[in-house]
Amino acid sequence: MRPDLPAIHEIWVYLSGSPLLALILTLAAYQAGVMIYERTRLNPLANPVLIAVTLIALTLAALDMPYATYFEGAQFVHFLLGTATVSLAVPIYKGLPSLRGRFLPLTAALLGGGATSIVSAVLLARLLGADETIVGGLYAKSLTAPIAMGVAERIDASPTLTAVFTVTTGILGAALGRFVLDAVRCREWWQRGFAIGVAAHGIGTSRAFSVHPEAGAYAGLAMGLHGVIGAIVIPWAVSTLR
Amino acid sequence: MIDGLVRILVFQGIGEVIAKFVIPLVPGPVIGLVLLLAFLVWRGAVPEGVELVSATFMRYFGLLFVPAAVGVVLFWPHLQRQALAIAVALIGSVVATVAVAALLAKLLTRSGTDAP
Repeated sequence: MRPDLPAIHEIWVYLSGSPLLALILTLAAYQAGVMIYERTRLNPLANPVLIAVTLIALTLAALDMPYATYFEGAQFVHFLLGTATVSLAVPIYKGLPSLRGRFLPLTAALLGGGATSIVSAVLLARLLGADETIVGGLYAKSLTAPIAMGVAERIDASPTLTAVFTVTTGILGAALGRFVLDAVRCREWWQRGFAIGVAAHGIGTSRAFSVHPEAGAYAGLAMGLHGVIGAIVIPWAVSTLR
Repeated sequence: MIDGLVRILVFQGIGEVIAKFVIPLVPGPVIGLVLLLAFLVWRGAVPEGVELVSATFMRYFGLLFVPAAVGVVLFWPHLQRQALAIAVALIGSVVATVAVAALLAKLLTRSGTDAP
């Protein structure tokens, strides 16, 4: 061993104290997730976020690194969530002309679907004996993840649990959506897309885009509108009902 | 691209300030989103820089919530104990939501004025 090189554990101590390690881990795990997702021809079950979270969680366990240490580095990625939320205004703006002439059915689908997503999740979870921490994480789960986490902070729910339930909801909606839509005999692409967007936000939207462009456009509009209206109505409703 | 990022950050900043002092119940970035949307409607077009930044964010949206979602490790024992309730609630809710949204859109189109 050459004497002028630091011992491996010194390099490790230096790296694990710097934000760089968590950043590399986050980006590399996400990249791996995207590659697997593309290899499986965009199968909704091979969701890149789910894969990245699993890989990172396993790595943290293997390195015995506490979550707080990891987050100190990964917070630079996390910070951009707010900025990305603001930039959602662009796809909503572009989708506004699609509302023309279909305002009534789309508004009803949005409000009815949004209310159903909360009431059904909370009732089912309570019925099966879930505790209030879990139930709190279910309120905002049909909103797009960055908005859902912001809403969770406002209603004293865990943003982390909300993020996990949100991603899971998106995956489930993208995987199960077409069977439900066929079962209720909904055939118009714009209605199918919008329903998926209301229920399963971004993950459902990218699924809808891969099936039909009109379905994708309406899913994106539904995701954006549900995010904005949910962010205004859910904290208000929860604080009123409590 | 930087001009677009500056615009979006300014709207985020205004949103955060309004959320802090005026409407504490709504997350700041959502207020920023609504203000940016109003600006785009008023202007009648999307500035090139804003378009570029937004497209980039939309492409890598999933990456941004990975750090928070990894926090699931803290809840792991908790989630395992209540796995059944969580699974039933999530699956039941997403099926019900898609069904209700699709049925409302379908039924109100048929009775509405713009039926084909």
